[in-house]
Amino acid sequence: MRVRVRLFAGLKELIGQEEITVDLPEGATVGDLRERLRRDLPGLAPFLPSLVCAVDEEYRPPEHPLHDGDEVALIPPISGGAHV
Amino acid sequence: MFEITRDILDPQPLIDFVRKDESGAVVVFHGVVRGRSEGRRVLHLEYDAYIPMAVKEMRKIGDELRSRWQLTEVAMRHRIGRLAVGETCLIVAVSAPHRQDAFAACHHAIDRLKETVPIWKKEIWEGGEAWVEGHVVQREGDSSLP
Repeated sequence: MRVRVRLFAGLKELIGQEEITVDLPEGATVGDLRERLRRDLPGLAPFLPSLVCAVDEEYRPPEHPLHDGDEVALIPPISGGAHV
Repeated sequence: MFEITRDILDPQPLIDFVRKDESGAVVVFHGVVRGRSEGRRVLHLEYDAYIPMAVKEMRKIGDELRSRWQLTEVAMRHRIGRLAVGETCLIVAVSAPHRQDAFAACHHAIDRLKETVPIWKKEIWEGGEAWVEGHVVQREGDSSLP
């Protein structure tokens, strides 16, 4: 299966792309995707512990199963509004 | 009304939207770009958002407010893109029959926005820039990250 991974803010600048596609075996989970990203994009590794994943616009835990065509967003620590 | 926009924020449409005949109070919050941050002079800010999800999460906050307080209407609008010092990045407008509910709900809305809505800001100051290290999102009922 193939999922689209959306990048925002500092991650977008780090990777230099707004979106990447990742091929995963059937039955893969959000956790499996995180592991794949850690391996394929070493630059991302230091940021993974503070990232939460959203699948189709909902926050999801590592055990959440992925499906072909899913849009997964990597959500770094958020900072909306005027001050943290 | 829950929106992400690149346009300059005007509070009046939100006030008009939330004010109903049963409203006795309208509380409006403006989040404004501050000129100093940790001792540095900020030149401008740059906001990014995962727009469809940010709108969804703002709508959830609206539902939460209505379940906790007696309200007539809620509106939230967050601006993204480049903002100068002094410009408004966020407006929250809450109406209620009574002022206590409107104040409490508006205050809570801003706290929740900073915890769940996927929006990010970069500070650009003299000689540098950085994405602000904000709030690590906690998923519902989950204390073990990632």
